[in-house]
Amino acid sequence: MPAETVPFKVADLALADFGRREIRLAEHEMPGLMAVRAEYAASQPLAGARITGSLHMTVQTAVLIETLVAIGAKVRWASCNIFSTQDHAAAAVVVGPDGTPDDPKGTPVFAWKGESLEEYWWCTQQALTWAGDSGPNMLLDDGGDATLLVHKGAEVEAAGEVPGAKDDDSDEWRVILSVLASSLAETPGKWTAMAAGIKGVTEETTTGVHRLYEMAKQGTLQFPAINVNDSVTKSKFDNKYGCRHSLVDGINRATDVLIGGKVAVICGYGDVGKGCSESLRGQGARVIVTEIDPICALQAAMDGFQVATLEDVVGTADIFVTATGNYNIITAEHMSRMKHQAIVGNIGHFDNEIDMAGLARLPGIKRINIKPQVDEWTFADGHAVIVLSEGRLLNLGNATGHPSFVMSNSFTNQVIAQVEIFTKTEEYPVGVYVLPKHLDEKVARLHLDALGVRLTTLTKEQAAYIGVPVDGPFKSDLYRY
Amino acid sequence: MPRSAAAGGRYTPPAGAARAAPASLRSDIADAGLALAGRPGIAWAERAMPVLGMLRTAFETQQPFAGLTVAACLHVTAETAVLVRALTAGGAQVHLAASNPLSTQDDIAAALAAEPGVTVQARSGGDRDSYYEHIHRVLDAAPDLVMDDGGDLVNTLHAERSELIAGVRGGCEATSTGAARLRRMAATGSLGFPLVAADVSATRRMIDHKYGTGQSVLDGILRATNTLVAGKTLVVAGFGPCGSGVAERARGLGAQVIVTEVDPVRALAAIMQGFRVLPMTAAAPLGELVVTATGSRDVLGSRELSLLPDGAILANAGHFDVEIDIQALTGLAVDVHPAVRPYADEYVLADGRRLILLAEGRVVNLVAGEGSPPGAMDTSFAVQALALAWLAGAKLDPVAGWPFPDAAGVAAVELAAGLSAEPGQPGRVLDVPAGIDAQVASLTLASLGTRIDSLTAAQGDYLESWRQGS
Repeated sequence: MPAETVPFKVADLALADFGRREIRLAEHEMPGLMAVRAEYAASQPLAGARITGSLHMTVQTAVLIETLVAIGAKVRWASCNIFSTQDHAAAAVVVGPDGTPDDPKGTPVFAWKGESLEEYWWCTQQALTWAGDSGPNMLLDDGGDATLLVHKGAEVEAAGEVPGAKDDDSDEWRVILSVLASSLAETPGKWTAMAAGIKGVTEETTTGVHRLYEMAKQGTLQFPAINVNDSVTKSKFDNKYGCRHSLVDGINRATDVLIGGKVAVICGYGDVGKGCSESLRGQGARVIVTEIDPICALQAAMDGFQVATLEDVVGTADIFVTATGNYNIITAEHMSRMKHQAIVGNIGHFDNEIDMAGLARLPGIKRINIKPQVDEWTFADGHAVIVLSEGRLLNLGNATGHPSFVMSNSFTNQVIAQVEIFTKTEEYPVGVYVLPKHLDEKVARLHLDALGVRLTTLTKEQAAYIGVPVDGPFKSDLYRY
Repeated sequence: MPRSAAAGGRYTPPAGAARAAPASLRSDIADAGLALAGRPGIAWAERAMPVLGMLRTAFETQQPFAGLTVAACLHVTAETAVLVRALTAGGAQVHLAASNPLSTQDDIAAALAAEPGVTVQARSGGDRDSYYEHIHRVLDAAPDLVMDDGGDLVNTLHAERSELIAGVRGGCEATSTGAARLRRMAATGSLGFPLVAADVSATRRMIDHKYGTGQSVLDGILRATNTLVAGKTLVVAGFGPCGSGVAERARGLGAQVIVTEVDPVRALAAIMQGFRVLPMTAAAPLGELVVTATGSRDVLGSRELSLLPDGAILANAGHFDVEIDIQALTGLAVDVHPAVRPYADEYVLADGRRLILLAEGRVVNLVAGEGSPPGAMDTSFAVQALALAWLAGAKLDPVAGWPFPDAAGVAAVELAAGLSAEPGQPGRVLDVPAGIDAQVASLTLASLGTRIDSLTAAQGDYLESWRQGS
């Protein structure tokens, strides 16, 4: 049988060597994923799984992909952000540990840093399109774009037509509509069939999870979903400690501005905002928080942060970071009132927290690209703001996203969730689920040794006293950590 | 209620009480019967003051103060008692007056007064007259050495007991406030003997001011008010070692901290640490807690006080009770409710706003709390004890004579260099010799079980040389 050729589109396969070296380092920092590989090496629970992944194509994701492959899955991948791909990681995954750039033997990847919106959705489609008209039978999503395309595609096919774009639709939505229009013309029934073949999706992040619950509420969700985001070992670690690390990394790489002494505004004090506030305070910035939720606002105040409205402080702060998961947080009008060379960035999943389209529409505005993912926008009056990563996730656009160790927690949840749905499909009717607590605790446990943590074990009497098993789970589902 | 600012009558020393220490000098304390009650407090402090303990052992052997009389004006607390005991172990006669009537702990005063070689002139809650009377009484002993905390003893000695100046070899001053006063005296040629300004010691600034005062000021505020600091806006006036310590500790408790400063360098330091810096008139309306730590006066004057929000808590961490203008506060108030809690007086303004003044505007950590923790005072007092021994002319040979081989080894070179200098001509305010700082730091590290590296001979040569480049 001739060797199967690996379909792919990445920036440059010659980067594979560098990517492989980084993957090797990352594997050491991702003890959870490596432990799962070892645990399932013999049983191959994902044999027969065809997983389409839409998740930042980074070095850490490469370790995730190769873990899924190592325990039996076939995988096709796209990034979930136009800027977040690390081209060397993408190349290394395509080439694979046993291939060469001339003879790639790895996993199909469709991703490169700096895609256009058209290219992005083309990549997503490629990741969803399997040889021989078979679709994926599992989705692994981050932000829900793959899930969205399948659902919207099926919806359009049911309606028999693609709705026209409205005036206030975003550029991205127009691209999606055009993708759907051509698929309806060329491959009618594709998405409907695909949706029917999908056993489930595991969703990585807050934003995607929000979409899933909305669809479940409206009754439009087509297959079961595991909300990986709300595993404690994901949202309380990745969102908080990951952002604490990568926010300052992104700002430093983008601007090299001295953070000490600056006034920084963090919009949102959820898990991400908490990590961001702590990291900027740690650098000596004075951090001001904006919130809409009285509980989070009170938390911020009790943590010693000033809580203000954006209007109060927009003219005096030096650094603005959005971390809300909402949209239109920083408007063009806000930016026009900022100090000269104020830095504006977003660490929320989508690029709509900062109104980039509104900024571009301002009369007399000029955009000067300083370097990749750093733009100076000069207003008609001559003053300027610096926008990072065009308003997309700055920690991924300007730096390399979360560090491996934190991602190992998140991705171990992903792998476990994939195994859950794929092997126990009948136990998960259509709906949105979180992983049971014992699996959450397992993920944490897999990471303790690497940090030299020595865990205390309950005595039988102590376990009985608080009414939990000696080996856990230790907390009720209501516990908030 | 604020006490009268009137000077009142001055104590007149007995005629002819010049050099000879009166054998009849007796302690003036509240209750000698409290001596037993004071001992556990001193023992507790001793356990937390290992460096003074080590010095005491050394002084017992070396007797650097043999035959010398020390007049001291210090807060009469358990930590001071540990210092005094180290000095008497070294051969000194110590006569101690209280440097603040509100900080005197009567049981400690009694326990100390029962010690051989010590008299104590201190009663808690004394007034201004008795304060100066006590200073005069310790001066009656015709000291060879003086220890001051705020400069009142040295000032009184020069202004009213000038016949004693010639007999004084030197002294040391503990606070920045006092040192500043003494420098002004020195600048006008009015200082009659050398004084070591112990406030500028590096170890002292770091440990006592920043960490000791920082912690204990918040402790004092909490004891006086039991207020939740998290979520409150706390204004710190002054970002010196004390103020920055207060700011950091308050942030650690969850306060939003605003700093006010007059010094651009310190203001910049506050900004770089992420604190908000505002002029006091802008900060005052936000200040739910306001702490003064400037060493200056009228930091909260009539204008600033009138801007404070209802319920604001005012505390002073500076040495004197002039940082908050209490006369102005009294003037603004239509009603005063004294002691709504111990050490907390409520002033009601005409529009109904209530301001809570802690410790009558006196140094809040000593009045409402217990002062700097003994572990921090250990450093300060060790610096002062060594400075005093240096002034006494003691040969402090760290290698031959000091029984701390590990610690002394580290600092031996620097100590020898630092102590080779003579105290200098009379009338100068001297910095703490670097050798003393190194010695105190080494002893403190030894007490914490911390081991550090020593330079190799080659490294020492490299650091001394200038010819070696890349």
